[in-house]
Amino acid sequence: MIGEIAHFFSLSAALLLIIILLLNIIFFFSNPNSNQLILSIRLFNQSCWLIFVSFGLYIYLAITDDFSISYIASHSNSQLPIFYKIASIWSAHEGSMFLWIVFLALWSLLFINGLDKNNPLKKLTLIMLILVILGFLLFLLITSNPFSRILPFGVMDGADINPILQDPALAIHPPILYLGYVGFVISFSYVMAYLCKGNFKIEWEEDIRAWSFVAWIFLTVGITLGSWWAYYELGWGGYWFWDPVENVALLPWLAATAFMHSLYASSKSNILKTWTLFLGIMIFSLSLFGAFIVRSGIIDSVHSFANDPQRGLYLLGFSGLMTLLSLVIFAYRIPAINSSKPVITGSKESFLSMNNILMVTSIFSIFLGVTYPLILESFSGEKVSIGPPYYNTIFAPLILIASILIMISVDSLWQRKMLARKFFRSIIPTFILVTSIIYIFWYLINEFSLLTYIGIFSGLIILVAYFIKIISSLKAKEYINKGSAFAHIGLGILFLSISVNSLLSYQKNINLSVGESLRINESIESFKFSNLNVRTASNHDVISANVFVLMDGVSVNLNPEKRKYSTRGQITSETAIHATPFKDIYLNIGDQLEDGSWTFSLKINYFVKWIWLSSALMVLGMVLAMQKRKI
Amino acid sequence: MLEVRRKRLGKLLVILFISAVGISLILFSLNSKLDLFYTPSEILSGKINSSSRIKLGGMVKANSIKRLGTSTSFLVTDFQAEVFVKFEGVTPDLFKEGSGVVVLGYFKDQKFSAEEIFAKHDENYMPPELEIGSQSE
Repeated sequence: MIGEIAHFFSLSAALLLIIILLLNIIFFFSNPNSNQLILSIRLFNQSCWLIFVSFGLYIYLAITDDFSISYIASHSNSQLPIFYKIASIWSAHEGSMFLWIVFLALWSLLFINGLDKNNPLKKLTLIMLILVILGFLLFLLITSNPFSRILPFGVMDGADINPILQDPALAIHPPILYLGYVGFVISFSYVMAYLCKGNFKIEWEEDIRAWSFVAWIFLTVGITLGSWWAYYELGWGGYWFWDPVENVALLPWLAATAFMHSLYASSKSNILKTWTLFLGIMIFSLSLFGAFIVRSGIIDSVHSFANDPQRGLYLLGFSGLMTLLSLVIFAYRIPAINSSKPVITGSKESFLSMNNILMVTSIFSIFLGVTYPLILESFSGEKVSIGPPYYNTIFAPLILIASILIMISVDSLWQRKMLARKFFRSIIPTFILVTSIIYIFWYLINEFSLLTYIGIFSGLIILVAYFIKIISSLKAKEYINKGSAFAHIGLGILFLSISVNSLLSYQKNINLSVGESLRINESIESFKFSNLNVRTASNHDVISANVFVLMDGVSVNLNPEKRKYSTRGQITSETAIHATPFKDIYLNIGDQLEDGSWTFSLKINYFVKWIWLSSALMVLGMVLAMQKRKI
Repeated sequence: MLEVRRKRLGKLLVILFISAVGISLILFSLNSKLDLFYTPSEILSGKINSSSRIKLGGMVKANSIKRLGTSTSFLVTDFQAEVFVKFEGVTPDLFKEGSGVVVLGYFKDQKFSAEEIFAKHDENYMPPELEIGSQSE
């Protein structure tokens, strides 16, 4: 019964949204009246609350194990802890789409009610938000109904959530990521409202600044959580695989990052206005594209949901229509938007413009990498996949150019040419310092790879440039933009740590019996497999190996596990990681051989902690930048 | 105003030209970085360049997995042809006999040396080509 009530609430929400749209069409022909807007917003609020209550009831159904609901029956289980019963809602397509809509409604509700009641863009923004929510809500109800029942009777117990998803980081990864993705609906709707309105004297940047910051932070944290989970759970020792679904999360992130820079320039010095509008449209369009790629089953990926042509077609139609319409309106309005203030070469504005160009280039390269196999297959029937080598070669030069620009831009000023004296004073020492650091590094480790050295060079010049900047401004008690400094230092650390990681990390495959030990190399003096423990946990059996690794004079105890889950019979491995500031000892247990011995894969991964740190610094930088008031 | 527009159009054309050059460069580099996908029958019938990295997809043949020390060998089949695959390292959890698998590596002297094994996260996974193949049989 509760399932039907929840379903009814969602249907009523959709109906209410349609009514608001119809009302607004009628209002369009009658005299404008402020009561009409108040009525529309009141109805809109009610519609959002219907969605929330419906989702709340759905959570209740999941907690109380209502296995007559087919989605809950196939993704939850009575043995699961409550936390995972709730998380099972977003472990597959229907439920996660539902969550997506809840967040859409949440952001929209907060934004529209927070706007000033005399805001000239309020009504058009509301209509845009309604169109987006309605598009997804109808998609949910028509093609992916989470409320459908198994008739006439439900099953005794649920089929369980996939064991590798039973993990705290992964349980919160989708909600945080979605909050980020969906958060950009606000900048999208506001930008569209501005373009439709056609009154370009309106100052709109400030109204969505904070919202975009918050969405960016959620998106970044969401992506990092996913990467962190992949690192410790999948046991491949990697944190980023250039998997198509990772790529479609990176696309809106890049667009959003470009947007934040562009928004800064356009609110501060009235340039890049058209860019900012364009990027505002792109972020959300790329989010829609991502939803299509992930949920249509068109690509083969770790993340992709089950293949369903109907869903794919709907999403392709919806995202294509939204993108196309917005771009047409954008193109129609461009000539009227006046932002043709000349940009002085070497000024802060010029660097922000170049940032936009680089970001759009990266977006395009990734977009091509994702779609090229699809295009090629539909034309020639050849099946191909594009992996890390493509992205590494494309990104190495982009990163290098970006870093050099960041390094130079550290001392740039608004609307002013950079002083040649200042330019040489900071750049020459930076280059000399970085080149010598790299030379010493190369001399010490005696290994070379062009791409990774480009990465190291790029990371270091950013770090050194900011180091010099911070020291000199502290000395002269000058102003320093803390947000920008933290975020860019984070970026420098990211480039540096991923490059060093790929250069130094290595793997050893080991075959040992219980009680045996082995010397691996100069640094790992002993690897001792002392014993094997078997135990039973709430919903799985565990085999846990007890291993002592003696590395650089320090003995470390590691317990990698194999788990067998009772409901699905699925086997998973739990990696044992000993993390130190500069390297992780990363151990996986493999299979047992016929002679009773076991295989292990031991990885020494360098600078992994620094990758997470870099993301934390970028988020911190954004938080600081957000708090800064309009100057 | 017209002058401004003309200038803008000029800028746009320059941007378009540069991006066209960029795109062609990217596409050119794409071609050398692609991993082509084959089924066992395609691999055995066609001429495969032994120096290019390829992907092979199929089922792990029952009772074909042999482990010796840290190396594993097995047969990948599409029910018409089978390819002998060798791999060094720990295999993924979902890698098992009778399940779908995709391996990445080089095919040389009638042997496939795999650098990576992808066993999908879904236990019901089957490479799409194979699914089509087994339905049409």
